[in-house]
Amino acid sequence: MKNPFKNVSEADRLRALRYAKVGTSLVYSLFRYALLISIGFIIIYPLLYMIITSVMAPEAFNNSTRVWIPTNFNIKDNYEKTLEALDYGAGLFNTFKLEVVSALLEVAVCAIIGYGFARFNFKGKKIFTGILFLTILVPDMMVLIPRMVNYSNIDFLFIGRGIEAAVHGLGKLFGADWSAFDMTPNIVNTGWTLWLPSLLGVGLRSGVLIYIYIQFFSGLPRELEEAAWVDGAGPFKTFIRIAVPSSSVVFITVLVFSLIWHWNDSLLSGMYLTSDLPLASALSGIESYMVQKWGIYLRAGTPQGASILMAACILFITPMLIFYMFIQRGFIESIDRVGITG
Amino acid sequence: MSKLKKAKGIEELKSRYGLMFILPWIIGLIIFFFIPIIQSIYYSFCQVVVTSDGVKTTWVGLDNYNEILNVDPNYEKWLEESILSFAYSLPIILVLSLILAMMLNQKFRGRIFFRALYFLPVIIATGKVMSYIFTTTDEDLASMGVSGGMAAGMISVEDLTSALNMGPEIAEFVSQAINNIFNLIWSCGIQIVLFLAGLQSIPASLYEASKVEGATKWEEFWFITFPMLSRITLLVGIFTMVELFVNERAPLVEQVYGKMRGGQYDISSAMIWFYFLIACVIMGIAIFFFTKFVMKRYEA
Repeated sequence: MKNPFKNVSEADRLRALRYAKVGTSLVYSLFRYALLISIGFIIIYPLLYMIITSVMAPEAFNNSTRVWIPTNFNIKDNYEKTLEALDYGAGLFNTFKLEVVSALLEVAVCAIIGYGFARFNFKGKKIFTGILFLTILVPDMMVLIPRMVNYSNIDFLFIGRGIEAAVHGLGKLFGADWSAFDMTPNIVNTGWTLWLPSLLGVGLRSGVLIYIYIQFFSGLPRELEEAAWVDGAGPFKTFIRIAVPSSSVVFITVLVFSLIWHWNDSLLSGMYLTSDLPLASALSGIESYMVQKWGIYLRAGTPQGASILMAACILFITPMLIFYMFIQRGFIESIDRVGITG
Repeated sequence: MSKLKKAKGIEELKSRYGLMFILPWIIGLIIFFFIPIIQSIYYSFCQVVVTSDGVKTTWVGLDNYNEILNVDPNYEKWLEESILSFAYSLPIILVLSLILAMMLNQKFRGRIFFRALYFLPVIIATGKVMSYIFTTTDEDLASMGVSGGMAAGMISVEDLTSALNMGPEIAEFVSQAINNIFNLIWSCGIQIVLFLAGLQSIPASLYEASKVEGATKWEEFWFITFPMLSRITLLVGIFTMVELFVNERAPLVEQVYGKMRGGQYDISSAMIWFYFLIACVIMGIAIFFFTKFVMKRYEA
């Protein structure tokens, strides 16, 4: 049998090999773009759907041939109704007052706790690390009701109750009316229901944030901090002057996570608060508002319901999208450098 | 001698400082974590009545659990649905987000753009917005003769069925599958971010060494990337499990939340604890096998 490649020179063979290599990498990179673009479409599609549905007039829903550009627009009425149903201005204010503040508190407090875990060896550290994982594992939903019940008489290990009883007793002894003295105030329907857990590092998904901080601070070189120690700075001063300024990377990551989780949370605020609700709770209640106010149902032949709902979603996510636009570059870069190794 | 004593002093000092740093957290744990957990378990064995000055509890033993398991005809159905979706979503989300993270970690034109795009679900997906998109795009609207529906918008299901001569059951299956794809990809946001951060922390020298040794990409993945990521995989896995567990679109969670707001503290506690117990068993088995057979194998 004759070998067809017998006359092929060594140089030609090498060239062919090189072409084959370029070919496979070209095929691979085309495949990669195809996959990235198609999944990218899946991500972008609901956003487009939301925008289009929110501007449609009810009649436009019947024209099933026009999917992307609707035939009739009804922007003004849809959005006016949505702004009213969400009570947008007040909702936005409440969201900043309640959710954004507790997110910022959480970011700061978790940093302190994470630093403590990463830098110091203390008694029972292993046990506390185990408990940290437990807090990640047990969702907030499990402790929602008891927290709600306890909030009406906030107390710590009966200390507040004890002082209260002692003062009341003393009042009786002296014949004065001190029964108004209250060491266990009712904080239901105030911002403290959200701020207090954040302040103590047990807020919304704090466990995950503490874990990210521990990972980051463990990877930070110790030399500078040890130099500061030698120079006589205390641990808190070292933390604030040395560790915090070199940790912008982890702060961005954690801030984005915490802010988004708080912004989207309607479970906790819906449970603890009855008035002055943040946007997420208003969004949850929008269906019943539509029915009561205008008799617009989502399902019974009034397509405007869908438009209002989608407009509400757009108004709800817009502030976060603007925030993301500003922080996006830093966030993407910080992901590369935050050093979560598990 | 004195040096030794001094060193011990510093260690003790550091131990004290460490406790000082985590002190707020310890207080928080007691008030907002351990006490509420015990209370919540206790409530599930009680009849709880909300009065003007706090709650009144009467011990009723296993009555609440009997109520949900033997009397309520829906609970087991909800439980089964929730657990099933939990069981199939978890591996898909983990594998998908790892693949996407690895692709976004490579160097190619437009990487920044794709990263910005793929992080969008992080901003939007966690919460009410996604469930509203799914309700409005649901079959209810499609059956009203309204153009819409996540699946119907992309491909006309009716055209597909007539073209391929399929029955309506298969068409429904297809549209369900499309909805699930949306759902799962939109659940991958945070996971992609965490995996990317993990991938970045693998030292490049490991890959260079393997290249010198002539390892293929496949071997590179199984002998470097995967073992180096095993612990972050555990974290992402736990995070995903908890997220899936409290997913607001799960029928059981919806019911529990409705009952909580309605003041039925006893029944809702029993419902959520039984659900959590089963989820814990599944999570426990998953974590056990992962640490025992995946992480140990590489660490040894």
